[in-house]
Amino acid sequence: MPTMRINVGPVHPSTHGVLRLIVDVDGDTIKKVEPHIGFLHRGVEKLSETRMYMQNVSYYNKLDYVAPLSWEDLYVGAVESVMGIEVKEQAQYIRIIMLEFQRIANHLLWLGTFCNDLGQMFTEFMWTFRERDKILKFFERVTGQRMFYNYMRLGGIRKPVPSNFNDDAYNLIEYLYKNISEYTKVLDANNIFKERLKGVGILSAEDAIEYGVSGPVLRASGVYEDVRKSHPYYAYNKINFHVPLKAEGDSFARYQVRYEEMFQSIKIIRDALMAMPGGDAVGMPVKLIIPPAKNNIIIERRELPKGEGLLYIVPDKQKPYRISIRAPAFTNLAVLPKLAEGAKYADLFAILGSLDIVMAEIDR
Amino acid sequence: MNKDNVDNIEKSSESADKDTGIKEESSTNARIEMNELIVNSLSKYEAKPNVMFAKLENLIQAFSQPIVKWARTNSLWPMQFGLACCAMELMDFGAARVDAERKGYLLFRGTPRQCDVMIIAGWVTKSMVPRIKRLYEQMADPKYVIAFGECATCGGPWWESYNIVKGIDQVLPVDVYVVGCPPRPENLYAALIKLQEKIKNGK
Repeated sequence: MPTMRINVGPVHPSTHGVLRLIVDVDGDTIKKVEPHIGFLHRGVEKLSETRMYMQNVSYYNKLDYVAPLSWEDLYVGAVESVMGIEVKEQAQYIRIIMLEFQRIANHLLWLGTFCNDLGQMFTEFMWTFRERDKILKFFERVTGQRMFYNYMRLGGIRKPVPSNFNDDAYNLIEYLYKNISEYTKVLDANNIFKERLKGVGILSAEDAIEYGVSGPVLRASGVYEDVRKSHPYYAYNKINFHVPLKAEGDSFARYQVRYEEMFQSIKIIRDALMAMPGGDAVGMPVKLIIPPAKNNIIIERRELPKGEGLLYIVPDKQKPYRISIRAPAFTNLAVLPKLAEGAKYADLFAILGSLDIVMAEIDR
Repeated sequence: MNKDNVDNIEKSSESADKDTGIKEESSTNARIEMNELIVNSLSKYEAKPNVMFAKLENLIQAFSQPIVKWARTNSLWPMQFGLACCAMELMDFGAARVDAERKGYLLFRGTPRQCDVMIIAGWVTKSMVPRIKRLYEQMADPKYVIAFGECATCGGPWWESYNIVKGIDQVLPVDVYVVGCPPRPENLYAALIKLQEKIKNGK
């Protein structure tokens, strides 16, 4: 049978962004997948050379609009190490709490859209968005914005936390724990869900390392790597948590790892709330003249919800001279042609969805 | 004397030009005349308009137009089409808290042929413009466009970028603008109510 060429996209093939896939199929079996990217390119790396350090923050939280706070934290953390500024102790704990809430929000959105991709499991979509909206409401109370927070400042955060911060956070994690535990009734007990994912898109540990994937995709293939453990930042080394691992490497394992991670994040938030010291957490105001750069070239790593993010900064006096971005979604997308080869066409979106990509981060 | 000579020469050249022009005009005139002749000759055979029937037609139009407008206002189907960050709020718009279904903006459809409203949610790059145009052309009339967010209205934070179109209104006719970075889902709700008013008042 002659191969047929199918053009998927570039308009939201699976609600993850503007991606175009060229798929060669033989009957129902995929022979080759070729992702075409660049529909959201706007030149972040070039633009950030024209602004002062703290003006760039709002560019960097738009890199991953599913988890804006994580990228913001990575950028501000990199600038802090350029300047040689230490983060205040209470601010470290507040940052951990906010980042872990952001991780849960990211995984919830991923789970909802992923179930939507798998054939209109709309109940799950509604459930996850209900929970995600509670987190966004909490963020709005703390930071004043719903999506792009602009919350991180050099050495701390923008403004002191509201008086009922601890109570709100406790109530929220209680609510999240109760509701997220319910999902297993719909997902793990669902035969359609299991059979669409088990054994689909298997990624071996060797391939995962060779392609340079990171985050939950790597951990689902049985490789233990988490920046929070291997290169701990903030107070992560003082908090006890474990990194979920799965050895199967298929789409179902990736779902399980993310699902476990949400509970670990809840645990981290609880511990951080208990260990949070008092004092001052407010960082330097933006209007203040920024101190000159101390270090030469900085490479900063963070564990983002989608994998390992990395920033490479060559500093100038008031502006960055050059910034290079290593986005986790970019390398995770690069595995798609390998995983989809030989799979059925209907499984393509189960594989693509399980990689958890966001196109703004890939195209930059 | 010299000047007169020059003038004469110019006049003669002009007259020559006119001559050629007249020749062309005459040929086109002939065609028009022929057409008129044919139309006039055919008009004898045309049926005269029926007074009774015309009035009925007007009546039906007068009755049906409000019904059509009412139907259009209350079943605006948006297209499932997001570009960037604002698409997250677009998803929230269809999700649990801001339930869009109760006002008739239900069912985000995957194909442009079933949709009435196109919500441009996100920044528009130069490589995306021809594709958005094509999607817009595939939608059936009457069609409406909502520019959702800063980037779609004016370019927003990417104003200085080399690859961004500064506002979707350079490409498509926009009905309602929504500002904010990103706007809340409630703002989209308000925008759609505004669009409904616009359709009700006859657009």
